[in-house]
Amino acid sequence: MLNLKNIEVIYSDVILVLKGVSLQVPEEQIIALLGANGAGKTTTLKAISGLLHTELGEVTDGSIEFQGDRIDRLDPERIVKCGIVQVMEGRPLFEHLTVEENLMVGAYSRNDKPAVRNDLERVYRYFPKLQVLRARTSGYLSGGERQMLVMGRAMMAKPKIMLLDEPSMGLSPLLVKEIFKLIKQINEQEKVSILLVEQNARIALDLSEYGYVMENGRIVLDGPSLKLLENEDIREFYLGLSDKGKRKSYREVKHYRRRKRWLA
Amino acid sequence: MTEFLQLLISGLMEGGLYALLAASIVLVYKSTQVASLAHGQILAFGAIFLYIFLATLHLPLVIALILAFAATALMGLLIERTTLRPLIGQPLFSSFLVTFAVFMLFDGIFQLIVKGGTLTIPHFLPAGTLHAGALMVPAGQLCSFIAALILFGILGLMFRYTKVGLGLRASAENHQLARSTGISVKQIFSIIWVISALVACVAGIATANVTDIYYTLPQMGIKGLIVALFGGLESIPGALIGGIILGILENLSAGYLDPVVGGGLKEVAAYIMLLLILLIKPYGLFGLVRIERI
Ligand SMILES: Nc1ncnc2c1ncn2[C@@H]1O[C@H](COP(=O)(O)OP(=O)(O)OP(=O)(O)O)[C@@H](O)[C@H]1O
Ligand SMILES: [Mg+2]
Repeated sequence: MLNLKNIEVIYSDVILVLKGVSLQVPEEQIIALLGANGAGKTTTLKAISGLLHTELGEVTDGSIEFQGDRIDRLDPERIVKCGIVQVMEGRPLFEHLTVEENLMVGAYSRNDKPAVRNDLERVYRYFPKLQVLRARTSGYLSGGERQMLVMGRAMMAKPKIMLLDEPSMGLSPLLVKEIFKLIKQINEQEKVSILLVEQNARIALDLSEYGYVMENGRIVLDGPSLKLLENEDIREFYLGLSDKGKRKSYREVKHYRRRKRWLA
Repeated sequence: MTEFLQLLISGLMEGGLYALLAASIVLVYKSTQVASLAHGQILAFGAIFLYIFLATLHLPLVIALILAFAATALMGLLIERTTLRPLIGQPLFSSFLVTFAVFMLFDGIFQLIVKGGTLTIPHFLPAGTLHAGALMVPAGQLCSFIAALILFGILGLMFRYTKVGLGLRASAENHQLARSTGISVKQIFSIIWVISALVACVAGIATANVTDIYYTLPQMGIKGLIVALFGGLESIPGALIGGIILGILENLSAGYLDPVVGGGLKEVAAYIMLLLILLIKPYGLFGLVRIERI
């Protein structure tokens, strides 16, 4: 459904960040995108959602197709209309608007008013906490509540694909579990595909059908998530496990990292 | 005591118009972060357009008013499209300077039309004076003051309850986030300039109805900007209260201080007031409260 072919992204005309990234998001699947800090995961999402244009970034080579149409030259607001919504890193909200107003902004691109009201109720069923907080100024929400609100806001656009950028960041393990359960539910019940960027590789690979690993602006590894979970390098770098399933000390991992690179 | 109350009332009436002009500037600032100097000209041309349609072309009042509003809205839209949109993403100071350039450009045209004198619009607001005991209120001023209040009410309702209002508030907070939710921020900029020009147009027409189109009319834009700063630049209620305070202060200083110092203090009052307030509250009376969680 979504197809990135060999895209190259340059910021401010000189900073080359993505160096030929290809990936696919098929219908109704969860796809994981992993990688170290600065690998280019967020940039990949912004290339898809068109938000690159707001940061002087540009797709200079390759193409992005959604349901057969090229979307890499479209404005972000057009891309939302096509059915792709990005939930940005750091859970940004319209802090001076109430919780419900934030949700309604999510539906801004739609004109089917009765259906929007229905979807609002549906979002409240997924996130009952938001209904309790509906009249609260959103700037005062906690991290977990914010994560629910940004996901609910994305759902209000009735997307076909949701791009989630590090939904687990800074949340307690229990809350992370809950959020990921909800992601799975949304994926299955709303028939939304999800491209999931995560630092928490274990939970991302458990949830997804297929995964990509990024390093330095390139995809260095990809495969079915079950396979990736068994992959030596993934276990070393992302899960912090050695062959025997023991935790490795950080020192050893670093040592190993120096010895072996995917891209030598 | 009567004199004091009379000055208060006159100040209130004048302040309503300052408030409108300030509100038009605040609208633009809130959503685009551009402090506009051009609005003095938009206000003045609102009056000029009405003059053209009413006094030169002798159109019926209602049609002349509608055309004047349409022409002023178009003027706002054109300023946004031709001078400010190309600067989106550039330093805001460039945009500020461009609004100054727009002011100078239109000032040239304005002075060509007015030729250093005064144009008189046929007064269409009710003439005559209302009396309440010893106090007097010119009926025309009262009408325009009420119109200003109604307009503030409409703006408030629009912002709170309409979809466009929601889009305006969302884009005012965060352009990138707004675009990521499907709001066309460029379209929002156009809408806001049109609304803002209409508000300035009401202020211009109401002012011209009281004082005629005097050749210094565009300079009211500076006062509008001062009131906007005073009220906090991002606050519509701040514009309302700031405008009324300025109107009252001007009239009080004209009534009590001018006789002592021999006149001329009315105009200075505004600037003194602004300096004092900004010393105490750098973000103005109602500067935006930043939400910070710790
Ligand atoms: N607007 C920008 N202008 C210039 N360089 C940028 C810009 N945004 C990102 N970069 C650079 O691009 C590289 C990739 O950044 P990106 O945010 O995509 O990484 P990431 O994989 O999401 O990292 P993290 O896990 O830390 O969020 C980094 O080196 C970053 O400095
Ligand atoms: Mg990132």
